[in-house]
Amino acid sequence: MSNGIVENLINALMKLPGIGRKTAQRLSFYIMGMPADEVKSIAGALLEIKEKARFCRLCFNITEDELCAICSDPARDKSSICVVEEPSNLIVIERTKTYKGLYHVLLGALSPIDGITPEKLKINELLERIKTGGEVAEVIIATNPNTKGETTAQYLSQVLKPLGIKTTRIAQGLPIGGDIEFADEVTIAKALEGRKEMTDNN
Amino acid sequence: MRNKRDERTTLNAKNEMLTRTEGLVLRTQQYGEADLIVTYLTLSKGIIKAFAKSPRKTKSRFGSSMEPLTYARISLWGKEQSMPRITQSDIINSFCSLRESFKDFTYASKLIEILISITPEGIPNKKLFSFLLGVLNFAEIQITKNSKLRTKNWDLRNKNKDTMYLIFQVRLLVMLGYAPRLKGCGKCGVKSPDFYPHIGTALCGRCAVPSVKGRELPLRLTDSTINFYSHSIEWPINISTRLKPHHETVSRLSSVMDEHLTYLLGKKLMTSEFLAKI
Repeated sequence: MSNGIVENLINALMKLPGIGRKTAQRLSFYIMGMPADEVKSIAGALLEIKEKARFCRLCFNITEDELCAICSDPARDKSSICVVEEPSNLIVIERTKTYKGLYHVLLGALSPIDGITPEKLKINELLERIKTGGEVAEVIIATNPNTKGETTAQYLSQVLKPLGIKTTRIAQGLPIGGDIEFADEVTIAKALEGRKEMTDNN
Repeated sequence: MRNKRDERTTLNAKNEMLTRTEGLVLRTQQYGEADLIVTYLTLSKGIIKAFAKSPRKTKSRFGSSMEPLTYARISLWGKEQSMPRITQSDIINSFCSLRESFKDFTYASKLIEILISITPEGIPNKKLFSFLLGVLNFAEIQITKNSKLRTKNWDLRNKNKDTMYLIFQVRLLVMLGYAPRLKGCGKCGVKSPDFYPHIGTALCGRCAVPSVKGRELPLRLTDSTINFYSHSIEWPINISTRLKPHHETVSRLSSVMDEHLTYLLGKKLMTSEFLAKI
């Protein structure tokens, strides 16, 4: 075996986010030690996602059919839409198992300085979906709690206002498991703004 | 008075330096999974780019200190010729209210885009730093004042913002030395309503020789546009921002400035295109 093919694999793996030369080298030698059928299944899965994955016609989540599993599920609550920036954000929210409504993926966030204008995102599609759907009562804006996400949320709130639909923003503040001591003033201010009354659960 | 220890540089045997300074976050670019490349306007080094490890992670010690417009006390570590790494960042003023106002943030982004496009990196300019800090402070005070106003007339509030940020833009270009000359012909000083963006000045009929005339059509300036422009430069900022020019005057001066910047930079400003589309 020549070093060329090992080097090729290392270089290919280094193209993935968070993988440097050392990790790529370790993964390459691990792959070489794996059974052939397992390696084939990994390679097959990689090819399959590239060939079959596409965006859902309604929400722009990643799917292999015209509609994603969430949009085609009749049990989902069609009166609320949770707006996220990327499909990866949707997966994280789904993992909480507390939200039963639908989603809309914008595929990015507004950024004036980078020239990311509203028409480069799936904002018009969201408005169209709300206008034609007729069932939507609430839009939950779950864009990232950073400047781009906040700008996008502000813009969405502006364009949704004329439609008379309740628009909410996910809470911002301290992460669970963290210490207040290490949080910055903006985060603490947001946590104080979003405080809620303690209820007696006993 | 500023503490001298806030702006210091320590050099070790490997030629690596620890620099402590104050900086305004101009823009951030995502790098890799959770890292950022932050562009600062610093007090001691002018515009610099610095690398921050994992500030996008929820539990990052940097918190929100790397969000655009934040004024922070920062520590940088690295060799002089390479991109330094941010080791510490403490917020002095977050200018959070500016980021939470869509219109204000978009206009502030335009100022920043102009500043980044024109100013070379690594050249300290304390006057520019104070100017930008002053602008952000002023805009923040206006937001607080506006929030206390009883009027729900958003058109009026936004119109005042258009004027205020246009004045900031004019003053920024004056400070950077790239302001166009609108008051009188650039060659002989005679009053002229024709501004030639590719020359950067107004020219009278006699001085605009046929070759200049033929290249590009001039932009027509009205007396009120010229007066508003002059007042924006000459009057103190707290007085000039009280001006209430006709919206036609504001939009004409705004398009003159945009044309001038397009010629100067050889491209349209991203933020101008953004503002046109919202």
